[in-house]
Amino acid sequence: MILRPPYLRPGDAIAIVCPAGYLPLERAQACIDTLELWGYRVRIGPTLGGDSDNYFSGGDEARLADLQRALDDPAVNAILCGRGGYGLSRIIDRIDFTRFRQRPKWVIGYSDITLLHSHIEANYHIATLHAPMAAAFNEGGAGGVNVRSLRQALEGEDLNYTSAPHAFNRPGQVSAPLTGGNLALLAHLAGTASAASTAGKVLFLEDVGEYLYNIDRMLLQLKRSGSLDRLAGLIAGSFIELKDTMRPFGATVEEIIRDAIKDYDYPVCFGFPVGHGVQNVALRTGVPHRLSITDEGVSLQSI
Amino acid sequence: MNRKNFLTSVLGLGALGPICIDKSKSAAQATPAPPHAQSEPGTSAQNQPLLIPPYLKSGDGIGITCPAGDITVKEIQPAVQLIESWGFKTIAGSTVGKKDFIYGGTDAERLADFQSMLDNPDIKAILCARGGYGSVHLVDQLDFSSLLKYPKWIIGFSDITVLLCHIHANLHIASIHSKMCNSFPDDWSKAEPVQVASILSLRQALSGNEKMQYTATPHPRNRPGAAEGQLVGGNLKTIETLAGTRSDIDTAGKILFVEDTGEYLYSIDRMFWHLQRTGKLDRLSGLIVGGFKVKPDDPGEEFGRTVYDIVTERVGPFGYPVCFDFPVGHQKENYAFKYGVPHTLVVGDQVNLTETTKPILT
Repeated sequence: MILRPPYLRPGDAIAIVCPAGYLPLERAQACIDTLELWGYRVRIGPTLGGDSDNYFSGGDEARLADLQRALDDPAVNAILCGRGGYGLSRIIDRIDFTRFRQRPKWVIGYSDITLLHSHIEANYHIATLHAPMAAAFNEGGAGGVNVRSLRQALEGEDLNYTSAPHAFNRPGQVSAPLTGGNLALLAHLAGTASAASTAGKVLFLEDVGEYLYNIDRMLLQLKRSGSLDRLAGLIAGSFIELKDTMRPFGATVEEIIRDAIKDYDYPVCFGFPVGHGVQNVALRTGVPHRLSITDEGVSLQSI
Repeated sequence: MNRKNFLTSVLGLGALGPICIDKSKSAAQATPAPPHAQSEPGTSAQNQPLLIPPYLKSGDGIGITCPAGDITVKEIQPAVQLIESWGFKTIAGSTVGKKDFIYGGTDAERLADFQSMLDNPDIKAILCARGGYGSVHLVDQLDFSSLLKYPKWIIGFSDITVLLCHIHANLHIASIHSKMCNSFPDDWSKAEPVQVASILSLRQALSGNEKMQYTATPHPRNRPGAAEGQLVGGNLKTIETLAGTRSDIDTAGKILFVEDTGEYLYSIDRMFWHLQRTGKLDRLSGLIVGGFKVKPDDPGEEFGRTVYDIVTERVGPFGYPVCFDFPVGHQKENYAFKYGVPHTLVVGDQVNLTETTKPILT
């Protein structure tokens, strides 16, 4: 069974760390202000707006130390990753989860942070939050649906999301744990110790900026590694800024997904508000949800 | 490797002195293996004896097919003419000239063409016309039982890495990592010497008259040493996308070669981490880094490490030899490798890769 970290209460502390790409402090200011407005204390790790001059928010040692400190510190109740990018692959095998397992806390993020979610689910069976990160609070985002859902998820409220019908949806109702995240990361984790089992779960997928043929290849990798055949259901989130080869691939991303799972009969929905698009609601990974897909639309409720 | 060296190696065996394999290197690699998944169903065959398909004789047939991207009949003519000038027959498959968006025909058409070439006893080698994308759509549906009974050479690279890895992992039959039809020059007389030499190396690999020998220019970032092991690898991205599947290769005790094109540096870094995290770097005999055409960083996203830095960092804990810029990959100089066949690699003042099986004289 999945272990849920304690939900947050006013006065609790949230650490903001950047285990992957660089994020200037000012890009996190709205996030910090909002979290404080909600009644939380915010701890800023040295990797947020640090002195890095390259792609990463700091060297491997600095990123590892900052994340490790946040995981270990009993006074930190949740860890919000400032942004994704790339970088967790480089430190994941050196993170010590001993204290985190003793005192689980919510780890929040998406995109490259998928690696952390999957690793924690696969190895420690602790729920995490696939949710917007610091930049989502900017440009008025602090009052928007995405950020509001993050607060609801953190504070233990029931989550209830809906999305519009899609011609490729396959109807059905299932109750099962959620798992998933960024498709490229899930493919990258296949064959490693960080790959979470998908059997009996509702898998959600999203991606950004990939070539269509590569989406196809990654889905086939999931399929061929046994990650698509025993699902309880599939949620296709947003797939945005996709690229095509000079010779067109000849199928849309929805068609690619539909074809990759045509051998199975579980319920499937498309266009769910999760991913790098405008809508990206908070999802508790590892936690059971009720997914209902009908001709009228889709609902996903936490149980 | 320049053409002169290549031709020297074609003409004479024993151009290299005796090669000492430093067994202490493997002992020095007693670093704990990283956690990785249980061995995949495909890996068991990799412990069985290697099957080497019969080398080709004059008059033997070579099938040309498109398991991935499409090609026109006209585009394969330079390859057809050259291969026939070597004394082989060519059999263009039904997918040559077919086009289904990026593919050389639908999945069913490509599958049927490849299958018929596997099953046709008159075809002694199957040359994939080009890479692109698509082999993974066929690999689980192909019936390899006739290949197992009557092994033949499967030839290609890039996307064809799927087939080379799958055949190595599941059947343990040697294949050829090589240039394909789309790399044969229209005008042989105007082709660059390294391109000519690369294509001629395919003929040498197919004929089996002499051991394969390669010499590469030493690179300052090379790590010296000597290694012996089966030669496996291919396109790095493709190898990554096979992880966790039954086509995934076991690299322990082997010489791994990798190449790629059009990837960002951060992605190359992530792929080398993936090799490490799937247990493909820690027990190697040696590492050959071929060509890497890097996609420039986006502005503001400077990665700050070169391919040399990335590889050096990843192989740091291990003791095996490593060489860079080996002439294999998406480039004019891309020699034919006998995939799965044992080789020795010596990295020193010179870089030499030499096939170690006894030549089969026909």
